[in-house]
Amino acid sequence: MVALVIALALFFDFTNGFHDTANAMATPIATGAIKPKTAVTLAALLNLVGAFLSTEVAKTVSGGIIREGTDGVQITPEIIFAGLMGAILWNMITWLKGLPSSSSHALFGGLIGAAIAGIGFGSVNLETLMQKVILPAIFAPLIAGLVAYVCTRLAYALTSRHDPETGSKLTQKRGGFRTGQIFTSSLVALAHGTNDAQKTMGIITLVLIAAGTQAPGTGPQFWVIAACAFAIAIGTYSGGWRIIRTMGSGLTEVKPAQGFAAETSTASAILASSHLGFALSTTQVASGSVIGSGMGRKGTTVRWNMVGKIAVGWLFTLPAAGIVGALTALLVNTGVVGVLIAAIAGTGAVLFMFFYSRKSAVGHHNAVEVEEAGQAVRFAKKKAMARARAEAKAKAKADASAKANAKAPSSPKAEAGPQAPADADATNSKETQR
Amino acid sequence: MKWLELLTVAGATLIAASTVVTLYALGVRLTAIAADASQPSPGLKRSLAYVCFGLCGAAVLFGLYLIIPYFSK
Repeated sequence: MVALVIALALFFDFTNGFHDTANAMATPIATGAIKPKTAVTLAALLNLVGAFLSTEVAKTVSGGIIREGTDGVQITPEIIFAGLMGAILWNMITWLKGLPSSSSHALFGGLIGAAIAGIGFGSVNLETLMQKVILPAIFAPLIAGLVAYVCTRLAYALTSRHDPETGSKLTQKRGGFRTGQIFTSSLVALAHGTNDAQKTMGIITLVLIAAGTQAPGTGPQFWVIAACAFAIAIGTYSGGWRIIRTMGSGLTEVKPAQGFAAETSTASAILASSHLGFALSTTQVASGSVIGSGMGRKGTTVRWNMVGKIAVGWLFTLPAAGIVGALTALLVNTGVVGVLIAAIAGTGAVLFMFFYSRKSAVGHHNAVEVEEAGQAVRFAKKKAMARARAEAKAKAKADASAKANAKAPSSPKAEAGPQAPADADATNSKETQR
Repeated sequence: MKWLELLTVAGATLIAASTVVTLYALGVRLTAIAADASQPSPGLKRSLAYVCFGLCGAAVLFGLYLIIPYFSK
């Protein structure tokens, strides 16, 4: 049982990694700062480094929500098994949908569901749940969004260049932000490693303690740290391209300066929160930042219906993972056969989703429509855009006049004046028809 | 409830992020100015830009130093 739980925990770590690659690497990929393959490699390496840097979070993250210890209930490996099952399945579903949802919430949800089903309602500490999960879920995107908004405004204000005499706009030359993005996104990846690999370490340590192979109150053992670090790094490397697509181009169009501001806010929010003891979800912070930076730049639209979809996904994370966790806990409680059934059903579901995803594969080649002109001269691109716009306008005009032509015959006694040429056209076309 | 912690986190995030962004944006702007054709002292502007980038990097490293427990203990 312990071995099974450890394997499952490492698999959860893997899904966590590939679910969250998007947080760090979606915006630099979208702006063309880093090539997709390079980006995931970089993120994987930094996750690996980050996982080794600190084990502080491992001791605190998963603790407290379920009353454990002498006065509470005993967490069994079975409960953790069920909780992990819920978390993994929800991660896979949201990945299939391309929704960036919080892996830690899925984990909490799964554990809570499993504890309620396996032990009872009293096992859940509601106040801690409120404090550790629900409040951060509201404030993480708010804080990150606000900071990203301020930073985006700041970045654009500081780099906007006008000619002092004529007041006309000069070339803005914001290309430097693209280089900066490489560093900021690396920082996010590092922060993710210090944060998220810890959760799995905490879980495995919890199991080892529960099974009596490790003394209570001790930190994670070295092989646990190494295994978790590699699991999350491999997961990151395999890349959740579907979520990268959502974060990189689904929410808003990202320009280098925006991406820089968003990533800086994400990194500082994650690092500040994990250091100051108010844990925020990496995914929610990152999504909030992208939305905030989208609002900060003039002329950008935030796709609010996508934001709504993501928000609904967040609302469902806790209960959905909880239900799966609860069902698994009920199965597991029936004995060895139940465990086997749960394990086989879980593996089957994961495999099914994997093969289902093959039908519409999203890979590094098509995750985000990268601005190919990213490395080219901005000026030329702007001209091209202006030309395209002019052409589109001309086309729209042509369409409009064509419509007018089409309408003209249906109302033959059209008013004189501006409609006259259209009328003339219409008569012309009628004549040619004859 | 840990409202104070929440406020601290929000404040720290805002300060850290805006420091880094301000420094980097200044650097970007100074580089842009230095590259202008009619510029009396491009060398000075360029070196100022590098100072900004350097300070930005230092700010990030200082943040990491604060966070990694290996150093702060």
